[in-house]
Amino acid sequence: MIEQNLKELEERSIFILREARSKFKNIAALWSMGKDSTTMLALARKAFLGKVPFPVIHIDNGIDFPETYKFRDELTRKWKLNLIVAKSEIKPEISGFSCCGANKTEALKKVMKQYKFDALIVSIRRDEHGVRAKERVFSPRDKNFKWNYKDQPAELWDDYSSKIENEGHVRIHPLLDWNEIDIWNYIKKEHIPVNPLYFSRNGFRYRSLGCTHCTVPLKSNAKNVDDIIKELKTTTVEERSGREQDKEKEYVMQKLRALGYM
Amino acid sequence: MLVENVTMLGHKDHGKSTLIGSILMLTNSVSNTRIEEAKKYSEKLGKPFEPAFILDSLEEEREGGLTIDSTRAEAKYKDLAFEFIDVPGHEELIKNMMSGASFAETAILLVSAKPGEGIRKQTKRHVFVAKMLGIENLIVAVNKMDTVNYDENIYNKIAESIGRFLSNIKFGGEVRYVPISAYKGENIIRRPANMKWYKGMPLLEELYRLIKGADKKDENRFNKLRAVVQGFIDNDNKKLISAKVLSGKIEKGKIMLFPGNIERNAKKIILKGKAVAKAGEGSSVAIEIDKEIENPRGLVIAKKGEEPIVANKLNALIFTTAKLTPSSKITIKILGNEVKCNKLNIIKQIDATTGALSKKGLIEPLHAGILELELESDIAFERYSVLKSMGRFSFYIENKFGGIGIVE
Repeated sequence: MIEQNLKELEERSIFILREARSKFKNIAALWSMGKDSTTMLALARKAFLGKVPFPVIHIDNGIDFPETYKFRDELTRKWKLNLIVAKSEIKPEISGFSCCGANKTEALKKVMKQYKFDALIVSIRRDEHGVRAKERVFSPRDKNFKWNYKDQPAELWDDYSSKIENEGHVRIHPLLDWNEIDIWNYIKKEHIPVNPLYFSRNGFRYRSLGCTHCTVPLKSNAKNVDDIIKELKTTTVEERSGREQDKEKEYVMQKLRALGYM
Repeated sequence: MLVENVTMLGHKDHGKSTLIGSILMLTNSVSNTRIEEAKKYSEKLGKPFEPAFILDSLEEEREGGLTIDSTRAEAKYKDLAFEFIDVPGHEELIKNMMSGASFAETAILLVSAKPGEGIRKQTKRHVFVAKMLGIENLIVAVNKMDTVNYDENIYNKIAESIGRFLSNIKFGGEVRYVPISAYKGENIIRRPANMKWYKGMPLLEELYRLIKGADKKDENRFNKLRAVVQGFIDNDNKKLISAKVLSGKIEKGKIMLFPGNIERNAKKIILKGKAVAKAGEGSSVAIEIDKEIENPRGLVIAKKGEEPIVANKLNALIFTTAKLTPSSKITIKILGNEVKCNKLNIIKQIDATTGALSKKGLIEPLHAGILELELESDIAFERYSVLKSMGRFSFYIENKFGGIGIVE
């Protein structure tokens, strides 16, 4: 896994976050309490002089891990976050694609409408998935949250388009250029708090965090941030292989994203 | 590790995605899961294994055998990491090609040697546009050598012809030529047994040397302070503005903002949350100023006596995706500003595939040209040849993306 220059990545992300802040009136960020969106909040604190100046949304289906809720509440207090919990209903009969597609996306739609957000910061990275690699830094969604991946706006140099088409919103992707190992190197350098589920217990750890129903831990003895960095330098296992929705069937991610999923 | 962005260029089906797929496999830069997935899918479509599927991950891309939008993939080579940017080769997708290629300084141009393929209009157009986007180093990869029995003559003909085109359009940068088979992975990291006549290095080594050589001569750069203001840091405190340093260094003390000749005192420079004495090129800073500025977005910060150009008229070389006439309603996007153009004077059209000039008073789609623009208001800028980041813009025709321009 290629380790990039953290200073450059940090500069670019700060630029993007500030660009979003000055171009949109009412922005929010998604926070899953995972390593990426928590890193994004740490970057926002740097960009905006110690505070996160926008609300953070947790799409809560009620079946996240207990550790995740605890982590959320502790960091919310510590960083004085403006947390919005958007409850999504979980139906036992649906799982995987339909669960993420229907429940989570529906809850997100509701909260976006309620607060009239015009931009949403989402901490996806190109190296996570072939379809996410096709994303723009500023990526418009129409009012039905549809991603028109066949006709994305031009994005030249560091000039991001901010046109809102069809009364939708714009997704902001400040971490698009980061690799998984860059995130961990940055967590180490900046002492960013992380959800304990990432660390090995009884020979297993979560490498990518979803909810309790669709995430499985992977074999690992990495007990701290240093161990994780060491592990990532040699691993050949895909980051999201513990996520059910990614391997369920072909183009699942494409379909989920086209429908407005994160 | 230093990451060097390298964009692919070339006509559709000349092997851009296939080449990246092959490189990823040959340098062990892609997981087995992803290779297996691409293999399985190739079988499902009844095709032999297609390395391009490692990159092309949209359903429409695989079914249709084309790249719709640009994507990226990284590969390690020696002490460098190449970030390959794949772009679509289709004419109608040139907007996506530009979006991808604008991040790179180095490009690999794919030209198929296969009978009936060869140098096409889009091959040349991509080079022309890439040069405008800032590409300085170019590898011309003559691909599909396996389909012509590794014939030296065919390779030479293509290389000479591209060479003539590059000199016609005054490409100017460093250029290397390499014969390859992307599909078979030949002459990518190892010298090929079947092209003994080729005296150069394999593709990745040529690329590596090209980049290392370019680093060394990274010369007399522009070093006056230029920083562009993004906006306020916080809505409650309008004395704190954010800016990106494009060249030179920003320091505490007197600063000037353009257009408008606004003089301010920079009381504090904050970089990543910490107060600093100065900050250099590439930094995103917060600046505490002594007196509020209304609407600071897009203003250019400089030092007194080192003003940028401030004007409402400029001459530019442009490339357009749609037809341009003197009555076209265009808006240019430059340094975070969107400025309407009041008057458009078309000086000449340039055929991006030959360099030929014509004066018809209009510019056809997918052609270049020289324009004289009169803008609604003053902007601060530099000539592209002086400072790239302040001399380039994109333009919109009736709110639709039109193309790119560089200030002459």
